[in-house]
Amino acid sequence: MIPDGRTPVIVVTGFLGSGKTTLVNQLVRKESDSLVIVNEFGEVPVDHELMESSVEKAIALPNGCLCCHLRGDLEETLIGAAMRRRRGEIAGFDRVIVETSGLADPGPVAQTLYADQALARDFKLGPIVTVVDAFDLDSRNASIDIARAQIAAADVVVLSKVDRGDAARAEAEVRGLNAGVTCIRASFGDVDPQALLQVESQGNREFPATRHSSKIRSFVLRFDQPVRRELLQQFISTLIDLRGPDLLRVKGFVPLESGLVAIQGVRHVFDRLRPVESGEPALVFITNGVEKTEVEALWQAMRRLGS
Amino acid sequence: MFLNMKLLAQHTLNGFGGMGEGMSMQLARDGRRVLWLAHESAPKNFTAVDVTDPRKPKVIVQTDLPHAQMRSNSLEVAGDLMAVAYQTTKFGLKPAGFELFDVSVPEKPKSISTFDASGPHSRGCHQLWFVDGKTVHMACADPEQKPRNPKDDQVYRIVDVANPSKPVAVGRWHLPGTMDGDDAPPPKRLPAKFDAGFRAHNTNVYPERPDRCYLAYIDGGVMVLDISDRARPKMLSHWTNSPPYNGFNHTVLPLFGRGLLVVSDECVQDNGADWPKLVWMLDARDETNLVSVSTLPAPPVDAFKTKGGRFGAHNLHENPPVPGAWRSENVVLGTFFNAGVRAYDVTDPYSPREIAYFVPPAPEKSKTGQIQLNDVFVDDRGIVFTVDRGGGGLYALEMNV
Repeated sequence: MIPDGRTPVIVVTGFLGSGKTTLVNQLVRKESDSLVIVNEFGEVPVDHELMESSVEKAIALPNGCLCCHLRGDLEETLIGAAMRRRRGEIAGFDRVIVETSGLADPGPVAQTLYADQALARDFKLGPIVTVVDAFDLDSRNASIDIARAQIAAADVVVLSKVDRGDAARAEAEVRGLNAGVTCIRASFGDVDPQALLQVESQGNREFPATRHSSKIRSFVLRFDQPVRRELLQQFISTLIDLRGPDLLRVKGFVPLESGLVAIQGVRHVFDRLRPVESGEPALVFITNGVEKTEVEALWQAMRRLGS
Repeated sequence: MFLNMKLLAQHTLNGFGGMGEGMSMQLARDGRRVLWLAHESAPKNFTAVDVTDPRKPKVIVQTDLPHAQMRSNSLEVAGDLMAVAYQTTKFGLKPAGFELFDVSVPEKPKSISTFDASGPHSRGCHQLWFVDGKTVHMACADPEQKPRNPKDDQVYRIVDVANPSKPVAVGRWHLPGTMDGDDAPPPKRLPAKFDAGFRAHNTNVYPERPDRCYLAYIDGGVMVLDISDRARPKMLSHWTNSPPYNGFNHTVLPLFGRGLLVVSDECVQDNGADWPKLVWMLDARDETNLVSVSTLPAPPVDAFKTKGGRFGAHNLHENPPVPGAWRSENVVLGTFFNAGVRAYDVTDPYSPREIAYFVPPAPEKSKTGQIQLNDVFVDDRGIVFTVDRGGGGLYALEMNV
């Protein structure tokens, strides 16, 4: 057993009006030991003593990368909650649910958890849950790139309002962007919390070629033999240098000479390599226009150089 | 107050919920899981709890001590045999030593024999280790010896109980200099306010190394003993943290596959008077040269130290090599009195991490006004059982790491 006592942070995202608040409300009702962090008080009308608030805050980094707006208040709120839990000032919580209302792209939250070492001692990124409105599919066209990024980054898509909408059509659209994602259909936010909260990072499925006409691509890079740690790190580093902003999500497992490790990345920020006991040796890429052939060519070139 | 641990049940044990440091699980012949618990003080001796369903623990037997100037504190079950320690509050009293019971019918423990260690300089047995059904390793006075200081009465003793009706003492060891007639000079004692004695506490022996005893010796540090000749144990190595620390080394838990020893202190004074009391990680790849590499991260000191009652390390889950017990080389669990029960990931021994804890609210009528978790046992289903020294009794927890 490889113990990991960190508390998962579940990120709930989705377009305005898609049903995020209803979903969070239902989740907290069923799984009461949750710390909920919302952007505005009152948006989630839950009666819960662990309610926290967080105000969106952007910090411009010297490299000026737009996707790297660190969410300072979220970081402070999470570290503060862990400290108060250890001191017994709040009873405890088994998970954190962050509703990214007002924050269109879930990437920065994931990046905050990957990049901040202090935070990563107590917290880990849980599933990214994107709520997709099955009734009003056209509403996303207002900002189609953000909507696609949300779906591409998701581990779980909750199709909301399926009682009124065309769930099959919505699911087909979702799978066109993120073929391996777990899809759950829901009416009025009524989902089985365990089905949603226990979704692990996928990484072992071959995705069909995307049918979508957009630039979103999803593909798998497989590993048939153990890799040197340094080579893997150089590969990731080079990939980030070349196409970091277009790596919407990279996740999966890679066999090192010392054993299997899990990899998680969003854009140019990657979690540290974590030893795991089992998993199919493959990396899933969801990208904005980065083709499988490019990544494979880079990997093969680096392998030749590194051997 | 919790992290990755959930309360399944609490049982106050018929109002006698002040528990010692004896927790042992029996897989009974009829399929039940019976948790045997030693009480911290009179009037009760031991209690058996059916924990087959950890959400509904049931007391199935509870026994009384013969008098109030003694306590059991420690017990172990091996198969259908149970050994119960007897320690008296004053020198010279009886019974002092241990008693063996047949617990094949858990509701009706039957006494088989007693091992008498009473004497003018003896308070009997404080703790025992009994996992193979044949040998009791214990911290117990030896009436044939006279300690130079009365606090140093309990030594490491080996008793052969292969014939349970006739226990036979076969070996002993004490810190040189502590007994009359020793060639070595007496050890330098800790300051009076911390002087708890140079005597044995936990005496762990595992099938992985049946020729080794991992011994904690209270103010005398910890030792690895070669017991291949049981009549003449030999000290292979000795590690101590006191001074400058405040003594009371309690348990040595070997992680054989890792070349590590986990050493716990015991806090014995309220309101942080003897702080710090920690859990130490030792590199024991060379068993003759023990090297301290880290301590388990303490709970927030300012939040607990003067909160009331004891605060600091005490018992560990000792990976007992018996059916029904959980064993891990990566996760260490311990009790920390008012800071509850805590689990640590020691995969990286240089940087252990806290991964779970549970701090119950103070039980009703608690003398200290705080929980005082005293001992912990984890079964092979991953259920964490912990007991309160005050009156809270038994807590069953589910750990999720």
